Amino acid sequence: MNTDVNWVQLIIVILIFGAVTVMGFMASRWRSAGHLDNLDEWGLGGRGFGTFITWFLLGGDLYTAYTFIAVPAAMYATGAISGFFAVPYTIVAYPIVFVFMSRLWSVSHRHGYVTPADFVGGRYGSKALSLAVAVTGILATMPYIALQLVGMQAVFETMGLGGNNTLAKDLPLLIAFAVLAAYTYSSGLRAPAMIAFVKDILIYLVILVAIFYLPHVLGGWDSIFGAAQEKLAKPNPATGKPTGAFIPGEAGYVSYWTLALGSAMALFMYPHSVTAVLSTKTRNVVRRNATLLPAYSLLLGLLALLGFMAIKANVNIKGLDGLANPQLAIPRLFDQEFPAWFAGIAFAAIAVGALVPAAIMSIAAANLFTRNIYRDFIKPSATPAQEAKVSKLASLLVKVGALVFVLGMDKTVALNLQLLGGIWILQTFPAIVVGLYTRWFHRYALLAGWAVAMLYGTITAYNVVNPATKKHFGGSLANIPGTTTPAYIALIAFVLNVVVVVVLTLVFRAVKVPDGKDSTHASDFTADRGDPGVHDLPEIIDEGGAATAKS
Amino acid sequence: MSRLSAVRPAYWISGVLLTAAVVLPLLVPTYAKPDPHLWGFPFFFWYQLMWVFLSAILVSISYRLIRTEERKRRAAQGLGDPEAKDRAGAKEGDQ
Repeated sequence: MNTDVNWVQLIIVILIFGAVTVMGFMASRWRSAGHLDNLDEWGLGGRGFGTFITWFLLGGDLYTAYTFIAVPAAMYATGAISGFFAVPYTIVAYPIVFVFMSRLWSVSHRHGYVTPADFVGGRYGSKALSLAVAVTGILATMPYIALQLVGMQAVFETMGLGGNNTLAKDLPLLIAFAVLAAYTYSSGLRAPAMIAFVKDILIYLVILVAIFYLPHVLGGWDSIFGAAQEKLAKPNPATGKPTGAFIPGEAGYVSYWTLALGSAMALFMYPHSVTAVLSTKTRNVVRRNATLLPAYSLLLGLLALLGFMAIKANVNIKGLDGLANPQLAIPRLFDQEFPAWFAGIAFAAIAVGALVPAAIMSIAAANLFTRNIYRDFIKPSATPAQEAKVSKLASLLVKVGALVFVLGMDKTVALNLQLLGGIWILQTFPAIVVGLYTRWFHRYALLAGWAVAMLYGTITAYNVVNPATKKHFGGSLANIPGTTTPAYIALIAFVLNVVVVVVLTLVFRAVKVPDGKDSTHASDFTADRGDPGVHDLPEIIDEGGAATAKS
Repeated sequence: MSRLSAVRPAYWISGVLLTAAVVLPLLVPTYAKPDPHLWGFPFFFWYQLMWVFLSAILVSISYRLIRTEERKRRAAQGLGDPEAKDRAGAKEGDQ
């Protein structure tokens, strides 16, 4: 068992980390037109990112360090259903994004919306609904940030950092986060945008080398898949059922596609995805990126297969606490099979990979707090400079919160909450995405649907008991009510959400509950950079979604 | 009227392509099997990885169709092409 510090790895990680830190602070001057004293500049990088930068930024944002640890870990532990679904998930996400995201870009661009909750508030004229969306976003993002730390921890642990006393164990994480907090504070979204270049290039390098080099060392793909199939078919001592599924059997079909679809629909509901999209320059940047981002999906698919390689390589996944931890599978695989210097690069890639999304997520959560809680409820007269100031402070708070979470509580709490986060965030889909096309849904019906689905999803997830450990939050699958077919809880809750919204909308319309004021205009949804402001628009533009109304 | 009939094919075709890109990769029964193998990869794995490329192609075609259509629409409305402006290097003070 390796408890000594591997100095070669550590030095390489520190060097790369140092370089990234310098970049993070320098980023405040990068492409900057003015001062960082408003949210457009600090929180959205001046809203000027083109296709190229956005590709790195979104890639760095969506494919997080945690993903890189967790997806292969799931493949290692339970196989295709909980692991490889990430591939169809990230395939299906982009056509969906392609359809609606440019509309969100346009309307946000014209009205100066910074968060998805801003849009919901403006569209439905309901602060309550906007608050619900904002709170959901913050709740779903916080554990996600915490998990980035968990990913980093797995790497530090493998390098031999971490002794018996708490300080030595947590010091690397504290330093990494203090540095991250400092440059996010000073540079805003520009810092992760710049660092994303380093992160993504390193990750691509590591995965490509791993995918060509490791099968060569481990005896070829045939034997890797063979070892995985054998391991996953072995019965679990606690339940007597197979450990996992190499390829989903008939019983797992619904689980597999609902996990993929539910996650895909949820992906761009996360505030950090929206933040990255809104920071782009023109309406078409996000669409172009939907055609280019699948490159990362390929990467993720190959990466997932590293989980099977870890099975074949028979890595030791016992943590420092003596318990088996599948999350160590990938770091340990690198540690065991790569020369120390390259393992160092791989670990740096994961650690830097944690910084980019953590920075964007904390900015996104901070923007939500500032716009939809502070400005809407505490200080409506806030100036742009005050907003930026509050947001900067909130981003610090969010990160400290995540840190306390990871250090103070059991790691499983963060994992459980992240699982819940996925369920929760999908429940904002009707308000945001449907709202981009029609206002037929009533604001209070949306609120009720959201509340019912949040409650249902949380309770259902709580009731999933892991058969081996007897713990709650045992997974993201539950039986579809009235059947014995397991499906992704988020998607079941989403269907319930939509049903409630439709029924209540009919009821509210029948009894004439008043709608909120819609501050958007049909032409806002197709507006592009350089278009005139909404009040100057000639009537001719009134065509966007109004084709049927006109004919 | 002529504009509407010009709009429709691009949007319909894109709609079909994008729907295919969402639905087909989710039809698990069509690919949850080990054979045929390719370079040592069971069918289940290489087929899904192949869909990464297919999906990217379908979305790219939709992008081209819709971009052409939107340019026409914007030209008809007397709006500029923001990306042409971008290429010219003009700076725009966004709100």
